[in-house]
Amino acid sequence: MDYELSARERAWRDEVLEFIAEHVDEELAAESRSRGNEGRGPRAQRFLQALKDRGWWGLAWPEEFGGLGKTAIEQWIFIDEIETAGAPMLPLTVTSVAPTIMRIGSEVQKREWLPRITAGEIDFALGYSEPEAGTDLASLRTRAVLDGDEWVINGQKMWNTMAHTATHNWLAVRTEPEAPKHKGISMMIVPMDAPGVSVQGIWVWPGLRTNALFLDNVRVPRDHLIGERGMGFYYAAMALNFERLSIGSIGMARRHFRAFVATVRERVVDGRPLREDPWVRERLARLQVEIDAARMLGFETAWTLDQGRMPAAESSMAKIYVSELSQRIADTGCEILGLNGQLHAEDPGALASGRMQWLYRIAPMLAFGGGTNEVQRDIIGFMGYGLPRK
Amino acid sequence: MRPAPTPEQEELKQAIREFCAREVTQERLLAWESADGDATDGLRRAIAELGWLGLGLPASAGGSDASLVDVAVALQECARGLLPRSLVGAIRGAVALAAVAPESADVRGLAAGERALALALDEESGGTPGAFVTRIETRDGKPCVTGVKHYVPDAGAALHLVAAREGSGASLVLVEADGACVVRDALRSFGGDQQAHVRYEAAPVRARLTPAGEGAEALARLRRQQSALALAEMIGGMEAVLEMTVAYVKEREQFGQKIALFQAVRHQIAEMGMRFTAARHLAWQAITRVSGGCEQGHELASALAYVGQAFKQLCWTGHHLHGGAGFVVEHRLRFHSERAQSLCVRYAPEAPALAEIANALLGK
Ligand SMILES: Cc1cc2nc3c(=O)[nH]c(=O)nc-3n(C[C@H](O)[C@H](O)[C@H](O)COP(=O)(O)OP(=O)(O)OC[C@H]3O[C@@H](n4cnc5c(N)ncnc54)[C@H](O)[C@@H]3O)c2cc1C
Repeated sequence: MDYELSARERAWRDEVLEFIAEHVDEELAAESRSRGNEGRGPRAQRFLQALKDRGWWGLAWPEEFGGLGKTAIEQWIFIDEIETAGAPMLPLTVTSVAPTIMRIGSEVQKREWLPRITAGEIDFALGYSEPEAGTDLASLRTRAVLDGDEWVINGQKMWNTMAHTATHNWLAVRTEPEAPKHKGISMMIVPMDAPGVSVQGIWVWPGLRTNALFLDNVRVPRDHLIGERGMGFYYAAMALNFERLSIGSIGMARRHFRAFVATVRERVVDGRPLREDPWVRERLARLQVEIDAARMLGFETAWTLDQGRMPAAESSMAKIYVSELSQRIADTGCEILGLNGQLHAEDPGALASGRMQWLYRIAPMLAFGGGTNEVQRDIIGFMGYGLPRK
Repeated sequence: MRPAPTPEQEELKQAIREFCAREVTQERLLAWESADGDATDGLRRAIAELGWLGLGLPASAGGSDASLVDVAVALQECARGLLPRSLVGAIRGAVALAAVAPESADVRGLAAGERALALALDEESGGTPGAFVTRIETRDGKPCVTGVKHYVPDAGAALHLVAAREGSGASLVLVEADGACVVRDALRSFGGDQQAHVRYEAAPVRARLTPAGEGAEALARLRRQQSALALAEMIGGMEAVLEMTVAYVKEREQFGQKIALFQAVRHQIAEMGMRFTAARHLAWQAITRVSGGCEQGHELASALAYVGQAFKQLCWTGHHLHGGAGFVVEHRLRFHSERAQSLCVRYAPEAPALAEIANALLGK
């Protein structure tokens, strides 16, 4: 039994921390906070370029694609430290879509798309959800019909985040209307400048922008269907699987919590240091315990992956725990801040940069997005403990 | 025992419900939020004409002589319909002044909606009078207020009821807030009220509401009254969140069925309902006793500790069950979630409520 990082893992963590020390400062973190998802700011661009120059875009990619072939534990260390530092995470194009293309794309498709992704020319929006297809993704209706050598796409996507800044859409469409619903979907790459593509902004509670995407007789070449026809549902699930380590990461909540604790340490209320208040001490200590526990669940996911097993139940546990804990952190945090805790996160006077208030607004989305918690709980039952489905 | 509104109270609720349905539209909610300053003046005059600003004020001052319970009944409905908090604040301000100084000549103007009153009670360093920085001094033989009050809701109001240190005690005074000696530093808050930190630079006292240095008790009573009213607001918000969530799960389909058919969804609705029911009775028990001046123990603290947390929990579950649909800025749900946080932090923080209960159980 050994809970210490191996020498190799320690060296890797040190390397990551060194990189962070060199490239991450409060200005970068502040830029990320202030921009929401209105595209990346100049500092974030520079940071991602530095990651790329270092060869870390391909962190999780197999070596044959120029990747570093890092183990899941090493990836977990990376995600945990980057998120804790408040630096921009690698784009999903690199961490989710590219590895999927590597596994399912034809040789021609890999040659066509991977070098452009590596060069940073392509940035995908992820087009899975639709107004009527959320948790039940397989019921999506956007359809594509083959016309000669082109697919003609019609329909609407919802919550197509980054569509307004992306170069391409990674789009799930129905190509086999006669097939059972899970088997009738394909994945396509659609350039955002294709005629018939239009984007309408939608603003959500935490101040972020997402989009509705409309596809009106959009034509793409036949070979833009990636992998096999009718396998899109499974490819989407595969792409989501590659996000498992990030989705269940406690890094972001941990970062906000740390900054918050630093604020509490300094704060004086009614002439008395807040840190001396027994209620505050108990609450913060309890949250710290929960953060430690959440981290273990993320660690379990990574460990399971490294054992060559699919961490279905494990990653579901991490995802549920982190999303629900984020709410508890925000709730307690706002309360500990007293009246300052009811300022809007965007008020310049909000303590700890309004992190607790922001977390309060973003937390619900962590629970219903990324595979809703009810379904995750089902997965733990079925996959983790062999409970009967019917 | 009659743990339900009277027919007259039901009538009042119905009138407010219809008013809110008509006036508090989605477009207006967004417009009010992005407006610079208070954009709800027209509505304030409208509710003044309906007599709602005079609820709970003495008939001699143009009010309706209703009890605090009636005012709370009205506020529950206002919160349910998301009536702008500046208007809720106007009702609260009037009731506050009438409670502290029923004889005050300014009560009449508040009932008529000619002016509004802001409650400037809190300071950054906390709310206990002994720690107040804001103080009453004498200039040219006249008392005036100097210092900063923080997080003052509806700070744009023409009259401010200020809690300030005086000698070794505290006083409650009324200050005319139109002049140059009252400076506002606007804040953006969760609750949609027009908050500001307010600096009083030797602002003349318009009227004393308590004897000099002897206002601590009146301040404590005022806070309890305002917390009781917050309970009603929270119950109104909870009711709205529960209703809209029940309606949504009965309508939204996934996997070829209404999501209400999923057991996991039903359990969450049941949990919301259970908390709401308990919260409602705890709240009204506390409100009726505060109103009747017959508190028997820690019922207000108990209600505050329970209702504040339950409201936030309902909002969280409401968001969860709405998925993306409830997450857009236009959705009413998030206004309730913001108010939940705001009301809970200001009026129903858990720690002091628990401390009061612990003291009742164990002694200090
Ligand atoms: C800001 C934001 C950004 C997003 N970005 C993207 C993006 O870039 N790309 C993309 O494709 N999607 C994106 N999404 C969509 C997101 O993935 C969906 O919101 C999510 O899948 C949930 O779907 P829904 O909102 O339709 O909720 P629904 O699926 O309608 O769920 C509503 C409620 O029903 C419950 N429920 C549903 N099915 C079951 C069941 N079987 N058992 C028990 N309970 C159930 C859910 O848990 C939830 O509480 C984004 C959403 C938001 C809000």
